[in-house]
Amino acid sequence: MSHPQTITRVRALLVFIAGALGAGMLLGTAQQGPLRLETVLQVLAGWSFVACGCFLWARRPVNRLGPLMVLVGMLWLLGRTMTLIPNPVVFTVGIWFTDLWTAGFALFLLSFPSGRLRSRADRAIVGIFLFVVVPLEFLWLLFWVPENGLNILAIGPSESAAKVVDTIQRAVISFGSLLLIFVVIRRWLLSSGPVRRQMVPVLVGAVALMLQLTAWLFATVNMSFEPLNDLILASQIAIPIAVLFVLLRARMARGAVADLVVEVGQTPTPARLREALANALGDPSLQVAYWAPAEDRFIDTAGQPMELPDEGTGQAVTLLERNGAPEAAIIHDAILLDEPGLVASVASAMRLAVENDRLTAEVQAQLKEVRASRARIVEAGDLERRRVERDLHDGAQQRLVSLSLELQVARRALGDGGDPAVRRSLDRAAEEASAALAELRDLALGIHPLILTESGLGEAVESLADRTSVDVSVDVGPERYSPAVEGAAYFVISEALTNVTKYAKATRARVRIEALNDHLSIEIDDDGVGGADPRSGSGLRGLADRLAALDGTIAIVSPPGGGTRITAQIPTIQPTSAPV
Amino acid sequence: MRRMSTILIIDDDPRFRTQARDLLEADGFIVIGEAVDGASGLDAVEALRPDFVLLDVGLPDVEGFEVARSLAIDGPPPLVVLTSSRDARAYGRRLSSGEALGFIPKERISGAAIRALVDEG
Repeated sequence: MSHPQTITRVRALLVFIAGALGAGMLLGTAQQGPLRLETVLQVLAGWSFVACGCFLWARRPVNRLGPLMVLVGMLWLLGRTMTLIPNPVVFTVGIWFTDLWTAGFALFLLSFPSGRLRSRADRAIVGIFLFVVVPLEFLWLLFWVPENGLNILAIGPSESAAKVVDTIQRAVISFGSLLLIFVVIRRWLLSSGPVRRQMVPVLVGAVALMLQLTAWLFATVNMSFEPLNDLILASQIAIPIAVLFVLLRARMARGAVADLVVEVGQTPTPARLREALANALGDPSLQVAYWAPAEDRFIDTAGQPMELPDEGTGQAVTLLERNGAPEAAIIHDAILLDEPGLVASVASAMRLAVENDRLTAEVQAQLKEVRASRARIVEAGDLERRRVERDLHDGAQQRLVSLSLELQVARRALGDGGDPAVRRSLDRAAEEASAALAELRDLALGIHPLILTESGLGEAVESLADRTSVDVSVDVGPERYSPAVEGAAYFVISEALTNVTKYAKATRARVRIEALNDHLSIEIDDDGVGGADPRSGSGLRGLADRLAALDGTIAIVSPPGGGTRITAQIPTIQPTSAPV
Repeated sequence: MRRMSTILIIDDDPRFRTQARDLLEADGFIVIGEAVDGASGLDAVEALRPDFVLLDVGLPDVEGFEVARSLAIDGPPPLVVLTSSRDARAYGRRLSSGEALGFIPKERISGAAIRALVDEG
């Protein structure tokens, strides 16, 4: 039976048999008189169970509900058709099993929607039904004599005995029905929204049972109420259809999962995610718990500790794990476990969201670390530049000064005497020493301008402007900033002014430094030829990197013939006033 | 003929003090004293009352600018010539603050250079 094709054939055969039985029943009753609505409804009720059961069976092969519905429908049709056949054995067996379907029906109602009974009470109720329709029915058959006399089991015909057994049967099955109705309604009341909706067929079944009980009550006072019987049959036709309705709803829920995946892709807040999951599963009571490794427990979206529900509380937990460690949990109505596929797809969507969050957090942490290390690298570079400048000053620069002075002392000592060649040589040596010193100073200034640390950005830029060959106007305040900010600003301006003199063919340039709330705005423009390409030349590129390390930006506008404008923004720490 | 000018050299580098003394004396200055830092420099000015002070910007205890300011307050001031092994670009406008006569990088120190500053000032 495990081969899918075989099962499909079995189902087709069952549908054929049900069709044949129904047709036989219609033909059989037609021979006995005019076709009654009740008969048509009876056939339709049987067909409804078999057809809907087969459909459910095909859609949900693991769910026992489908085969169970087919069984109920088949028993229903079989019992009724067999009693139409004027063969004593067939008729007797037909009568015996006429009501066997009610036990299947009770099982169906109590085991909905998984097809499995949940409690001992459920089994007891089904047992009551079975007791009535199998042994008690057999006992009744021992006394009952039908009009056609075909009951082969009637070994002690007695109308009164049959009546007594029948009354006992009605009493016991009424008791069982009441229990069943009580259990179903209680279950319905205790369920959450989606499960309540899912229980519609069961409620319809309970209503049918109540109607049946009412009909029996009428019967005990010898009243027959035809429309009531029709109503019972109509509800029995409706039950399998209601089951299909529930099935279709679950299919719609799969559409909701697609929506959920889209929602998750937009990285919703934890609250939105919970809502989306609840919608997709149709369970408003759904909760999401996140594993907090540091606390070694689950927390809710608000960060509060959260206990996972135990088994048997009506709630179930679907765990999301990563490398064997819990990552998150979805707490939902246990009934949803009957839809393992649905829960699995919702869990997958949830996994996406959790993975998203985790990756985002990881990337953020890495980014933070990279930014911090980049800033540290720039800062370390600046410190190193300052150290190199100081070393040059204390070492080579001092020695060259000394050498130069010593040569001058020697030259002065010679006066107009001595060898003229030696005098000339000393003069040249002094010049060489001066030139070397000048070059060394240029180098030191390029490495780190002392004036920047000593006097601040304003004076350093003024000094820069003073030594630029074109006319540079400077608009800057006396505020001091962190060494990193001052360094970045200074080197941007220095590089820009170097470009002004080297390439721009400008007659004048302008530097503006404006301290805004939380950042320094720098603007350097000139009236030169423009056409500067920030991608060519590593100078500006390097500056962009240096600024980026401070979360700053730089932009260059340089249309050919339209001058060059460089703007930079550097976030600042609170500026401090320069000491007076 | 002019009276020979007196000058005090304030610098922590003994080699420089010797070289400067040699050069300035060769150029007709009387080096009446030497000091190694700002504090002793101020004391020496008080005691010696030189016409000029050759003052290193980077002294071990206090900046040369600071010494120049103190001298300007405690008048009558000597003419202060700032000097450094760095050049003027390292100090910018601080050099032209008014308390000093001017700035000469160390390797340019000479009687002629100092007199040129006097003529300019």
